Amino acid sequence: MIEVNQVSHHFRLGKKGQQSRLDVIKNISFHVQQGEIVSIVGRSGSGKSTLLNLISGFIKPSEGEIIISDEKVSEFTESEFADFRLKNMGFIFQNFQLIPSMTAYENVELPLILKGVSEAARKQMTIDMLKTVGLEHFQGHYPSELSGGQQQRVSIARALVLEPPLILADEPTGSLDSETEQDLLRFIQKLNRERGITFVIITHDDEVAKIGNRTIRITDGELAESGVFV
Amino acid sequence: MKLKDQFRFIRQNMKKNRMRVSMTILATAMGCAFLIVLASVAFGLHSTIIKENLESPAVTQIEVHGLNDGEGNFGPLNDKNIESIEELNGVKAVTRQRDLSMFTYSIEEYSQSASTVQSHFPSMTEAGIEISEGAYPKNKNEVMVGYHFALSFTDPDAEEIEYNEFGVPLEEYRYSENLVGKTIDMELKTVVDGKETIETVPMTVSGIFEAPAREWSQDYSVYITDEKYNELAAIPGLTGEFGEIEKMDYYQFATVYANTLEDVKPVVADLENEGYAVYSIVSEMAQINMFFNVAKAGLIFIGTIAILIASIGIFNTMTMAVTERAPDIGIMKAIGASPKVIKRIFLLESSYIGLMGAVIGIIAAYIISISVNLGLPFILMQVFPEDQLPEGFTFSSIPLSLILIAVAICLAVTILSGVRPAKRATEIDVLKAMRREL
Repeated sequence: MIEVNQVSHHFRLGKKGQQSRLDVIKNISFHVQQGEIVSIVGRSGSGKSTLLNLISGFIKPSEGEIIISDEKVSEFTESEFADFRLKNMGFIFQNFQLIPSMTAYENVELPLILKGVSEAARKQMTIDMLKTVGLEHFQGHYPSELSGGQQQRVSIARALVLEPPLILADEPTGSLDSETEQDLLRFIQKLNRERGITFVIITHDDEVAKIGNRTIRITDGELAESGVFV
Repeated sequence: MKLKDQFRFIRQNMKKNRMRVSMTILATAMGCAFLIVLASVAFGLHSTIIKENLESPAVTQIEVHGLNDGEGNFGPLNDKNIESIEELNGVKAVTRQRDLSMFTYSIEEYSQSASTVQSHFPSMTEAGIEISEGAYPKNKNEVMVGYHFALSFTDPDAEEIEYNEFGVPLEEYRYSENLVGKTIDMELKTVVDGKETIETVPMTVSGIFEAPAREWSQDYSVYITDEKYNELAAIPGLTGEFGEIEKMDYYQFATVYANTLEDVKPVVADLENEGYAVYSIVSEMAQINMFFNVAKAGLIFIGTIAILIASIGIFNTMTMAVTERAPDIGIMKAIGASPKVIKRIFLLESSYIGLMGAVIGIIAAYIISISVNLGLPFILMQVFPEDQLPEGFTFSSIPLSLILIAVAICLAVTILSGVRPAKRATEIDVLKAMRREL
């Protein structure tokens, strides 16, 4: 599903002419199989979010290649990657990243609009997805009128509505209380089990990481360990 | 993303800043209305002049002033030339004239001096030249007189004669009866071997021509038949006001009447090809058109400046919109919106503002134009009561072509003003936008 081959990434910091190089990801390689839940763990500043951003195409690797579903995405243009994300990836963010001026319904509907799905089909798919996350009665609410857990469920509904084979989650439980966190993790496992969706979850919390079939630990931009935790 | 959804998206976004968007649309509408109203003056005056010329009977006339002898000199026309002109396609008739001289005419105790001109009445009839009263001469002793001639018989013994603004004697100083059917005496002076003899020739006025179409033009002539011309010109020693008269076997002036307005251009081209010096209102209209087209282009250019000023507002509005919506744009890009879609949304938004501005501007321009056309004659009548506007005078006219030009300029300028903000929107960094760092 995902192949990360000898990927490195660095940032240039400071004024032009006086820049210093900061290596964030150093020669990392790993594979993610179809239907897996893989947790990428590490302390703050370890480079785990940068790794997710590289896989998402938000930034390009300085070296190495990334292959997703047999496509060499690290060579995609911005437009090609946008199209690829729309068809193949869903995102769950720590801060939910919902559009505040749109209702829960409109937020979930947005990927369908971008894909050009007809209005009638869109309506059915959006309502079905809101039902799946248990928010069918909150469809007209704006994000500011929803709790953190409800917002995260809207965010999950948005990620799932196009039924992508891969979902990338960046600290998905970071803004949730422990009870809601457990609900969300159970829901992720259920989706993985029932729909075969592959999840890559970035977390600094080892408890959250435990829902994964496999954990990849990053330390100072390097792959520290990779293995199965039960 | 479907176009319908893009429009829905745009409307939603515009609602968020209703006041700012409304003000931008208003500024664009004002610019567009200014352009249309300004240019409508040139369109209005142009259409008035064209209409006036097209309604004039002179529109199908082509004046022929001479024939090129091949060396750049223009000579008069003879009967052979007239015949060849009459054979051209599209020619209805060719009238021709030659001057005899100035002679004194009298009726009862009234008299006046007038130019005597030979005219070819059959061709005038054929050309459809209308007469004010009476009929064309049927024999050599009948004459036609000009409209102003009929009003200018005055008493030579009167101490002081007063004239109106057109140079015609006031009614109390002139012969007041209708001249048609009356006999006027032409005074002929002959000088043979130094001996001067004066005799009078009676002539009957068979009709009076219409007043010339142009207000400033006056017709004091007496028109005689070909036969009478030949008879008079053959009198030995006949002397006019400018000396002894010599018989002419050529015409000083000819007027070609085309069948229709459409025939004028080809007939003019044929005549010019054959070396004739010609003049027609249609040629004059080409120059008028050129002048007004330049004026229209100039006024549209000035009006475009107003739209350019409005476009600064659109640029500002769109730049603000991109800045405010940067986090939303970041989220959209993250979930799969391509830069093309983002760009199209912002370009559509600026075009939407331009289109709305153009529609409101067009409505406002029509209201202003109608008000000016209704109100201006009234105001001019109050300010200059002695002046009268020509009939059908249009100060402001908004044809469809002007609307299309204004909409095209408005849309082009507003789309261009949205290009930079739209490009900026596509360059928004997803990660920075989602961290609200923009």
